[in-house]
Amino acid sequence: MATAAATMVSSAGGLLAMLNESHPQLKFHAVTNLISFVDQFWPEISTSIPILESLYEDEEFGQHQRQLAALLVSKVFYYLGELNDSLSYALGAGPLFDISEDSDYVHTLLAKAIDEYASLRSKAAESSDGAAEIDCRLEAIVERMLDKCIIDGKFQQGMGIAIECRRLDKLEEAIIRSDNVHATLAYSTHVSHSFIYCREYRREVLQLLVKLYQKLPSPDYLSTSQCLMFLDEPEGVANILEKLLRSENKEDALLAFQVAFDLVENEHQAFLLNVRDRLPTPKSLPSESLQPESSDPAPIQNENSTAAEDVQMIDGSSASMTDVLEADPKEVMYAERLTKIKGILSGETSIQLTLQFLYSHNKSDLLILKTIKQSVEMRNSVCHSATIYANAIMHAGTTVDTFLRDNLDWLSRATNWAKFSATAGLGVIHRGHLQQGRSLMAPYLPQGGAGGGGSPYSEGGALYALGLIHANHGEGIKQFLRDSLRNTNVEVIQHGACLGLGLAALGTADEDIYDEVKTVLYTDSAVAGEAAGISMGLLMVGTASEKASEMLAYAHETQHEKIIRGLALGIALTVYGREEEADTLIEQMTQDQDPILRYGGMYALALAYRGTANNKAIRQLLHFAVSDVSDDVRRTAVLALGFVLYSEPAQTPRIVSLLSESYNPHVRYGAALAVGISCAGTGLSEAISLLEPLTLDAVDFVRQGALIAMAMVMVQINEASDSRVGTFRRQLEKIIRDKHEDTMSKMGAILASGILDAGGRNVTIRLLSKTKHDKVTAIVGLAVFSQFWYWYPLIYFVSLSFSPTAFIGLNYDLKVPRFEFLSHAKPFLFEYPKPTTAPTTTSTVKLPTAVLSTSAKAKARAKKEAEQKANAEKSSGLESSSSSLNTGKGKPSSEKDGEVMQVDSLPEKKAEPEPEPTFEILTNPARVVPAQEKFIKFLEDNRYVPVKSAPSGFVLLKDLRPNEPEVLSLTDAPASAASATTGRPAVGQQSSSSAMAVDDEPQVPQPFEYTS
Amino acid sequence: MDPQLTEVSQMFERFKAAFIRKDFDSCANLLSQLKVLLTKFRSLPPLFENTPNSVNEVLLAREIYEHAVVLSVKIEDQDAFERDFFQLKPYYTDAGSSRLPPSQQEYLILGLNLLRLLVQNRIAEFHTELELLSATALENPCIKHAVELEQSFMEGAYNRVLSARQNAPHETYVYFMDLLAKTVRDEIAGCSEKAYDYLSINDARQMLLFSSDQELLEYIKEEHPDWEVKNGSVYFQKAKDSAPCKEIPSLQLINQTLSYARELERIV
Repeated sequence: MATAAATMVSSAGGLLAMLNESHPQLKFHAVTNLISFVDQFWPEISTSIPILESLYEDEEFGQHQRQLAALLVSKVFYYLGELNDSLSYALGAGPLFDISEDSDYVHTLLAKAIDEYASLRSKAAESSDGAAEIDCRLEAIVERMLDKCIIDGKFQQGMGIAIECRRLDKLEEAIIRSDNVHATLAYSTHVSHSFIYCREYRREVLQLLVKLYQKLPSPDYLSTSQCLMFLDEPEGVANILEKLLRSENKEDALLAFQVAFDLVENEHQAFLLNVRDRLPTPKSLPSESLQPESSDPAPIQNENSTAAEDVQMIDGSSASMTDVLEADPKEVMYAERLTKIKGILSGETSIQLTLQFLYSHNKSDLLILKTIKQSVEMRNSVCHSATIYANAIMHAGTTVDTFLRDNLDWLSRATNWAKFSATAGLGVIHRGHLQQGRSLMAPYLPQGGAGGGGSPYSEGGALYALGLIHANHGEGIKQFLRDSLRNTNVEVIQHGACLGLGLAALGTADEDIYDEVKTVLYTDSAVAGEAAGISMGLLMVGTASEKASEMLAYAHETQHEKIIRGLALGIALTVYGREEEADTLIEQMTQDQDPILRYGGMYALALAYRGTANNKAIRQLLHFAVSDVSDDVRRTAVLALGFVLYSEPAQTPRIVSLLSESYNPHVRYGAALAVGISCAGTGLSEAISLLEPLTLDAVDFVRQGALIAMAMVMVQINEASDSRVGTFRRQLEKIIRDKHEDTMSKMGAILASGILDAGGRNVTIRLLSKTKHDKVTAIVGLAVFSQFWYWYPLIYFVSLSFSPTAFIGLNYDLKVPRFEFLSHAKPFLFEYPKPTTAPTTTSTVKLPTAVLSTSAKAKARAKKEAEQKANAEKSSGLESSSSSLNTGKGKPSSEKDGEVMQVDSLPEKKAEPEPEPTFEILTNPARVVPAQEKFIKFLEDNRYVPVKSAPSGFVLLKDLRPNEPEVLSLTDAPASAASATTGRPAVGQQSSSSAMAVDDEPQVPQPFEYTS
Repeated sequence: MDPQLTEVSQMFERFKAAFIRKDFDSCANLLSQLKVLLTKFRSLPPLFENTPNSVNEVLLAREIYEHAVVLSVKIEDQDAFERDFFQLKPYYTDAGSSRLPPSQQEYLILGLNLLRLLVQNRIAEFHTELELLSATALENPCIKHAVELEQSFMEGAYNRVLSARQNAPHETYVYFMDLLAKTVRDEIAGCSEKAYDYLSINDARQMLLFSSDQELLEYIKEEHPDWEVKNGSVYFQKAKDSAPCKEIPSLQLINQTLSYARELERIV
């Protein structure tokens, strides 16, 4: 007897013939059998599809038979690749289409069904005339699928489908029924940010998420308030904060502070102000429980007073407890917390802490600047100002202006606009120095009745500097800037004041300021008008207000290109983040006759769709990049891609790689900057590979762009993690030294050196906050920065995008306690770059005559100075041993002391080989570069436990041993210039504390000592 | 014996009786019932399950379908022939070789099928079928007959085709041979249409193998209404004119080429 296998059917012809039989039972028999053979014989069956179709449509045929026929047809169509037909028959098959079947057919069709359903749903949602036309059978299939996902525990899949199909009811169900509601909620928040392209719908999803968050037994306030921020509902956040602050529990208050810090990180000034205003004002307080931040804003105090205050703070809680007689202790505590949180929300607390961190950790290498200064020709004013820019960027936010002070003569060569930017550079250096900003700039500011002897350029620059200092936190300075604007009719001062106002009142949509700036615009002066245009945009960032059309109208009216350009950018800024809402305006601008307005249109596209990776926007930009007649528009279109794609940096090099090989240098330039913008601070290997050839481009400005972009990508990446960083540094040096290099690329190289070591090597360019929100200030900053093509002083806007790479742990009093944690990676990977030690060695070879003893001495002096300065800094902080990096147990503390004590013995120390440690202990506050974040671990048996386990940024620490005295670090205020006298006693403290780090287990911090 | 099988074979006996009586109506009726009953046997194609009675069942089923094919010829129903033949085929190709004794009727029916394809002018399928046959099968007179016919047909030796009617290997072949005459006539008509501008009625009658002018005129009226009969001749002009002339989509091509050129320029 032959086996069954031997008697396989070789053709479906017989069964197909049976379909033509008149007897229905025969047809049924044929269909039934055909279904089991369809996988094999679909080519044969495909010729009989019309018969099967008529069977399906035959009313006389039984329901089951018809569905069977439909299933058969669907399968054949599936094999034929006609998924649409296949799907429609699968729907006809009703329950016979089994979604749980594990076959390619079912998988493909399900995907198709879900796609179809999702697109129908979103179409229905957009056209808003009901979902009537959606096939209920389709809906049934998708619902079956969703239910199955939920039952099978594939919640993420289910949520994804539900979100895609706009089935919020199902999304809710999936989330509620999942086993880890917190995780799924977090997941869906993430999904809604990265995959929902329609803004309106995203709002709906987030609203649902907030609702769900609030229903949870233990609400996740951090995430909730993030969602609320996106929804722009300050009230909700204020309620949460109030509830937390009211609580008896100290932990809740810590949480509230953490929420506030997280919100501040997103830099949404208008929203933060709103939240703050909604919180009740603290009731009249007993004066001693006031927070130092608010009662005593100027950190000019010397060490003693700080220390004294610390004592007060430590006693603070107990003090308020004993205040029963004076007021209800709860109220007192509440009021105190309110004050603190308002300080945080206003951004002052974080700015101040950042400032302290940047100051105390400043590792900028003055030698680099010196080299630049020496190699740059005296009379070349472009390079001269570029050096000033580089210095400002290098020291952004560190308040260290030594270089300028040391080179006053050299500096004085800056005239006119160079003077403007030199003065403005001070603003970058002192960025965030809110309390003292004004007094620092005082010598340059316009004096009351315009009778001051200062040149208008330095006065204008000073106003701009004030704006930079107060960028996005301009509460205190707005009025002054307005007055200055009103009291002058000098173009240059107006220019500075407009920029300053725009920065200080960023995104506040303040009508009065807007009107004042508008008045300046209507004077139709080119210089002032340009700044006014930008300023108006800055004021109205992301408001999509009616003002845009007003600006557009004036842009059509005026004759000055500068004004049109300023306005074009301003208009673009107004639609920041509005996505589809901005489409009309974008359309209007991109179709304009005037190339400058089209150019603005590119920015509008970039900013409206910032970080969304929206396909439509990308397509449009690519279209303009290759088809517009104006080079400026093409360049900007490519550049704008960087903004659209920054949320997915890995994509950008791929998308612009072709453009980077374009014959048009403007397009190449745009491609370079696009990569620079979107991959900023990532050190992405593809990005570097793409930029490398561009740095050697034949056209000078392409080289410039590529160098700057490269620096942006490599910021805070050190040579150990990518050897090309070292190559790039050497390349920069070579370009700067090369006498025959073009000015343009030389300037690029100088700026690149600045950006590479930005902010004392402690900041990176970050366009997304840790919660994946866009950082308005940073993006706006980069957008305006990219305008430096036309107007160099706008280079300073880059400082807006710097964010410190720091872990700063705070206790209940918002002070920085001593706290150690682990970075589980080889320390050398994330070290600061080594200081350039011997700049002479290379130059001696090349130019033996140039290195005379004088210059060598000068250099030696410079080096010594640098070291001394570093030591002074180190010792200036009281317990700042903890503030400097404590490089693990591998490094003996003796070396550290050695560095402090004996300056001269440094070289020998370097020589001794050390075993490579595999981890390092970092001490709060510490520099944690982005690449390092994943290695950060918190130690188990620590006194402090972070409220949220974030590897960087501001983190509130819960004190598990509140009764022990706390050791604080980072109490030095930058204004108190490093004094050697206070430093001395600190050394003893330092040696003891770093000796502790040698032990395997971190120990309890030593008791607090008074060091005054 | 299995009651179902008994039932089927009894009914088949009745069918055969009716078949001999030439009571084709009751034959068709019985056949339809038989087919329905056959669907209950799981040993039949396409399932080929091994049941105790499978050999008997398959044999019986094969015989039923063979009769069905012959019946369809008798009642001159080409569609039914095709249907039944395809249902029969798996019994020859898939089941036959290994476990069944070869059927007496096999070559007869295969030959009939070839003839049918020839009649329907489905030459491609004809050759496909031919390729599937073994060398021994080609020697069989039934098959050989069909093959020779096809060769003559292709050569254009239409007279040989028509004369072959006399030496048909089986009585059932006669029906198809008659039909073949008509196929041949259609071929000739098609060729004449292309070859001549006009033909005299006399020539046309000879050419198209009609015995009388009357038949010819009727044929023209039925099959070729676009032929004109005037002045004692048949004119084919109209048929030639009406043949659709393909237009070159020049405008569309020009547009396409231009847009390519434009896109090329844009490439970066």
